[in-house]
Amino acid sequence: MTSAIGFSGVSRHYGDVKAVDNLNLDIAEGEFFAMLGPSGSGKTTSLRLIAGFERPTAGEIRIFGQVAQGIPPYKRNVNTVFQDYALFPHLNVRDNVAYGLMIAGTPKRQRQKSADEALGMVALGGYGDRKPSELSGGQRQRVALARALVNKPKALLLDEPLGALDLKLREQMQEELKTLQRSLGITFIFVTHDQGEALSMADRVAVFNNGQIVQIGAPEDIYYRPKTPFVADFVGSSNVLPPEFMNGLVGKSSYGAVRPEAVRLAEQGQSALVRSVSFLGAATRVTMDIGNVPMTMLMPKGAAVPKAGETVTVDWAAEDLHVMAPA
Amino acid sequence: MSSSVDTQARGFLTSLSDTLWRKPGLLVFLLILPPALWLGIIYLGSLFALLAQSFFSIDEFTGIIQYELTFKTYAELFRPSNFDIIIRTVVMSAAVTIAAAIIGFPVAYYAARYARGKWKALFYLGVMMPLWSSYLVKVYSWKLILAKEGILNWLFETLHLGWLLNAYLSIPIIGGNSLSVSATGTFLVFLYVWLPFMILPVQAALERVPQSMLEASGDLGAHPAQTFRHVLLPLALPGVIAGSIFTFSLTLGDYIIPQIVGSSRRFIGQAVYAYQGTAGNIPLAAAFAVVPILLMAVYLWIAKRQGAFDAL
Amino acid sequence: MGVGLSHSLCRLGKIAGCIHRGKLSMNTVLKSGTAMVLALTLAGQTSAQTMLTELGEGEGQVNIVAWPGYLERGETDKSFDWITDFEEKTGCKVAIKNANTSDEMVALMNEGGFDLVTASGDASLRMVAGKRVQPINIDLIPSWSTVDERLKEAPWHFVDGTHYGVPYMWGPNVLMYSTEVFDEAPTSWDVVFKPMDLPDGQPNEGRVQAYDGPIHIADAANYLMHNQPDLGITSPYELNEDQYAAALDLLRGQRKLVGRYWHDAFIQIDDFKNEGMAASGTWPFQVNLLKGGGAPVASTIPVEGATGWADSTMMHSEAENPNCSYMWMEHSLASNLQSDLSVWFGANPAVPTACTDGRGMQTAEGCTTNGMDDFERVKFWTTPVSTCESQGTCVPYYRWVSDYIGVIGGR
Repeated sequence: MTSAIGFSGVSRHYGDVKAVDNLNLDIAEGEFFAMLGPSGSGKTTSLRLIAGFERPTAGEIRIFGQVAQGIPPYKRNVNTVFQDYALFPHLNVRDNVAYGLMIAGTPKRQRQKSADEALGMVALGGYGDRKPSELSGGQRQRVALARALVNKPKALLLDEPLGALDLKLREQMQEELKTLQRSLGITFIFVTHDQGEALSMADRVAVFNNGQIVQIGAPEDIYYRPKTPFVADFVGSSNVLPPEFMNGLVGKSSYGAVRPEAVRLAEQGQSALVRSVSFLGAATRVTMDIGNVPMTMLMPKGAAVPKAGETVTVDWAAEDLHVMAPA
Repeated sequence: MSSSVDTQARGFLTSLSDTLWRKPGLLVFLLILPPALWLGIIYLGSLFALLAQSFFSIDEFTGIIQYELTFKTYAELFRPSNFDIIIRTVVMSAAVTIAAAIIGFPVAYYAARYARGKWKALFYLGVMMPLWSSYLVKVYSWKLILAKEGILNWLFETLHLGWLLNAYLSIPIIGGNSLSVSATGTFLVFLYVWLPFMILPVQAALERVPQSMLEASGDLGAHPAQTFRHVLLPLALPGVIAGSIFTFSLTLGDYIIPQIVGSSRRFIGQAVYAYQGTAGNIPLAAAFAVVPILLMAVYLWIAKRQGAFDAL
Repeated sequence: MGVGLSHSLCRLGKIAGCIHRGKLSMNTVLKSGTAMVLALTLAGQTSAQTMLTELGEGEGQVNIVAWPGYLERGETDKSFDWITDFEEKTGCKVAIKNANTSDEMVALMNEGGFDLVTASGDASLRMVAGKRVQPINIDLIPSWSTVDERLKEAPWHFVDGTHYGVPYMWGPNVLMYSTEVFDEAPTSWDVVFKPMDLPDGQPNEGRVQAYDGPIHIADAANYLMHNQPDLGITSPYELNEDQYAAALDLLRGQRKLVGRYWHDAFIQIDDFKNEGMAASGTWPFQVNLLKGGGAPVASTIPVEGATGWADSTMMHSEAENPNCSYMWMEHSLASNLQSDLSVWFGANPAVPTACTDGRGMQTAEGCTTNGMDDFERVKFWTTPVSTCESQGTCVPYYRWVSDYIGVIGGR
């Protein structure tokens, strides 16, 4: 696998603010790569560094082997789907999609044909004559996608593209994006703050915090084997166990994590005081304290649920306890 | 008793507000009635009174206005000396508008995209300040600046560029004996006085263009000039059109500036002033006054056809 | 001096505009067949109009329509007051309504509610024709005898043997020149009409000005009257087609010499200070102001003579305060008004002794500067009409208006 995008020692500082700090990253060609993190973690800045809207204050970015330094956005062979879609309001949908081709000098008839094809690909055939303002959020999102893809970029950058959509539409679009990426085989770099979205779609996920990547790996790795308490907490809301507690448990002074769904009521184990119980539909969430360590348990539907104030005994399988590297 | 009266009064107010709540149309009607009356009767009414005048004619011998509908007065507009005035005014207005757009756009662009904090305040101050001082004072100061013994001429002489200015002034039509008595002088003063009316709407329009729109264009391969041409300009166009409506119509109607600075060749505003004021020829003055209205209507129609308002 | 400005502005207004109507209406009348009857009717009515024969008690008030600056009660400048005294003496309160153009004056008089108006040559005849003013009984004005003989029966207020007005003030349009350019006064108006080198060796192109109003055609005609006698011009206000064409041709040539036509007295003053102007037709008003400011200018009336203006006080046909009106007319001739107003506006008094008898600030020299001695050489303007005394058919004023706009526009 060849490298599509490479960051080596890339920083983007605004005065004292380190938006991106000494980032090293390699994204393979054809990969569906997610950048996950809370807002302000540097993921969007990283994407904008690739697109060329921002310039690194240090380090080097390579795009398909070419050093990106000094290459303006309009000469980079990547295209972006913006968070607000950034559709041109004065152009109809077809002209929006054909914009890149028009700039490239494609004859009118040909670029309109390509634009209509691209619209067909995102299931918007026949919408070409409408204005962006006449479309729904999901439709606009797909126009933005078609507008980027019609240029056949080698990498597609997506900045929170599903953020503005409602839950149902978002899930549907996640599927469609995934399918699209598979069929086109081009590199997708996807920025999101929604860990479910990142885990379900991406081949690999980079978790950002404070301008740095704290963990990078396959979704399963991130989910089951968080390297830091931050990842454990941010990706899937694991119960983070402090080193002192772990010391008593496994005799090793490092952080541990256990997923809420792995925690169960047991005959033997840790004694816990139930603080609250919330019904979630498919499951029930029980929050409790083991000593001073907070712990969340997800109980499947139908199980007998303890009441707040009760003291219960909980446990988990040894393989469900993930022990992180020593801090 | 008193409590029952009180209840009744409250009952009336309550039922009134209930009625208005149930019939929002009535409330809106009551609210817009006064401004609509003002606009309809005072504002448009006077305009139509003017228009009506232009369809009358003046008896050449008695000077009495004949209240019979005729197009005779409009035909007079096409007399060479009158038609010259219209052409001259339109050309001047167009030149002022285009120049104001060319100069105003970068200024507005800077203010909208780059200026922040105190620079932005400074920008507003700089653009608005000329509007605070009296119009006449400005025009008279420009007369002095442009005079043969004025600052500009002195500057050219000092830089040993007097020959350049003289060469320019020797060009017919736009030249003259000094800048202050040339059409160029009139143009410069018009441009100065109306420029803020171009900058402010353009700046407002530019501020409404999201940064991502420009980035998207660049992302799709457009270099900055193409982005300007295909995205920024069309999106700022409503602002430019709004500004040009100001600069164009203000120049069309002005009668003070060409009287103080320029070659004495008449503009429409002066013709209106002269015909209604000193010649008592209200119909011809009204017909002249209709010209800018028609011109603006045609202008807006063309602008609309060209899609200037599509981004609204 | 603000008053002076507005007055100058209005003067241009009255010249440019107002000539239009008065005599023209009579023309129409005479032209059409039915009009003859009308003309007779008019004449009959005129003679039937009542004239005051005896002066009674003052009514306590008099309402006057006047050019701005013509009626001063010391509010603009303490030393210029010719009303307070009148009010104290007669008990007639003076209510002033300023009018900026002759048209406004005529319109105000048509509306009614006024007693007197300081009408200029054009407006006066229009109001006589329109029966807006009544005949004046000069026997009721003791100072009438002091009026300049040359004005007593001037055609702009003396119609068909009847007096319709009391002369108020007059002035010539003089030739102003820069004393730095001219060692001695230019003798001819040709310095502003013909391309030539001025005494300082520089061409006059761009250094001369002309008045920005159609009445300037009369100045051109006045020049031709003297310099091209073969055209046969007898009055600059009565031009046949050939004479008119010759005047326009002269003005078209002048267009090439004139950078900017003057419109506003103060702009012209500024132009003489800052634009290096060498010569221009003007009013004594600007000459006085420029001289007062130390500018190197002087004025003259060249060999061709000059055009000029003259105003008269006229009385509304339905004046409600006839007694106070007559008292005012007497006051206008007898008091310091004639003397001080002539200083204030740079004009000439209608009473020659006002120049010398010390009733006000005017002096003999001042009157000479203002053109008092040049009365015979001044052609006071009247409305150009198509039926004219001198040669039957003349070019009427409405064509002067549009053609002069064309000349300035380069046509």
